[in-house]
Amino acid sequence: MTIFTQIVWLGGLFLEGVILIRSIQGKSFAKYSLFYVYIASVLVTSAALWVIYIYIAKPSVNVAVYWPAQYITLALGCGVIFEISRHVFAHRVSLDRLARWTMLATFGLIFLLVAVHAFLLPKWNVAANTADLERDLRVAQAIVLMTIIFLTGYYRIEIGKNVRGMILGFGVYVGASVLSLTVRVFIGPRFSTAWQIIQSSAYFAALAIWAVALWSFEPERPSKPPSDCDDESSAGYQALADQTQEILVSIGDHLDKPRTK
Amino acid sequence: MIQLTFSLLVGFALLVILYFFVRGGKVSAEGSAQQLREARQTLDSLQFSLLPNDLVHRIFAKEDLEYVRRAAPSQVQSLFLSERKDISLAWVRRVRGAILGLMRFHRGHARLYAQLNLSTELLLAFNFVRLLTVCRLLEIALYVRGPYAAPGMVRTVAVAAGKVCTISEKSLVFLKANQIDPLRNDPSRHGASV
Repeated sequence: MTIFTQIVWLGGLFLEGVILIRSIQGKSFAKYSLFYVYIASVLVTSAALWVIYIYIAKPSVNVAVYWPAQYITLALGCGVIFEISRHVFAHRVSLDRLARWTMLATFGLIFLLVAVHAFLLPKWNVAANTADLERDLRVAQAIVLMTIIFLTGYYRIEIGKNVRGMILGFGVYVGASVLSLTVRVFIGPRFSTAWQIIQSSAYFAALAIWAVALWSFEPERPSKPPSDCDDESSAGYQALADQTQEILVSIGDHLDKPRTK
Repeated sequence: MIQLTFSLLVGFALLVILYFFVRGGKVSAEGSAQQLREARQTLDSLQFSLLPNDLVHRIFAKEDLEYVRRAAPSQVQSLFLSERKDISLAWVRRVRGAILGLMRFHRGHARLYAQLNLSTELLLAFNFVRLLTVCRLLEIALYVRGPYAAPGMVRTVAVAAGKVCTISEKSLVFLKANQIDPLRNDPSRHGASV
């Protein structure tokens, strides 16, 4: 492990501690519980890996502990996406549902592929393909995150400072992870050192973003729908959608006709 | 190899989307009266100054071309064609702008509803993209072949523009713009603010 990686590692532990302390001081732990559970789990696993690295100093032990710990934090990382979706689409049931379905579908597909590999290829096993599996799971996280960002942009949904920081930090980390893991799988062990540096730097950057964005709790601006836009008036939405659709089709007909002449 | 390419694409796409996410401006207040006022003003300017039939007919009138060809020297003819091309292009861009305006308007108000119909929204998004593409193709056709080379397309654009206006008008009525700012909706008070 390079000195740079060690510095980033210790810096990361420090920032994780700061984020957790600030969440307790600012009473925001309960508001973003899944996110802080993720940070706490990473803090615990990183500290444990650090102790193993310093005191046991056996690479085989380190590797044996690293991947299971990585999978636990990876699974909890899905909780962060869930948290983001829950806050961003707090008043948009359908969009929240769409984000969750996307999450379910992408993760389901990946686990299905793992199962297919395990059943059809006798020599294939998860332990020997950890980097592949992590990359696939990160890709799934990236797809869900992109869906959430696209929907917020498309419907111009206002996002508070805290959740914005969560999205940005997690996005940076997931994006860098997907790219570095892909290159690592492609190039092989020669890329391991660079991969470690990229991975730890990206996570440190994410922690720095989270520390700034979540320094103080900022409640989401109430985006209360007008009285005629509540859950019970789906007829109102349907009227808007029908009207737009009807005239769009009409325009389409007019635009298509001369071209087909 | 396909898997690697796909993963790389996803990674890059996420970072690019994040870049735009960070750069994105502050979202205006939801369903603000300002939005409705702007939509109304755009619609008024389209209806009263850009879309009347005689104006559209005048821009694309073949008689003008025939007259210039008969009576003017070649320099004047080419100047005439060039200017008519510019005008027709500007006109098509306004139509495209109106469709974009409608799209923004629909999205801006659809987001207020908790229970969106996702299949309807997908269909609408598809239709918006299709229409915007067709408008862009028309723009290219006018640019390449000129306003008199594709009279069918010109008619199409004219009808489409009128339709877009109708859409916007209906949307504004539906959203009760009159109740929000009646003075702005009075045609006699264009540009006046209270």
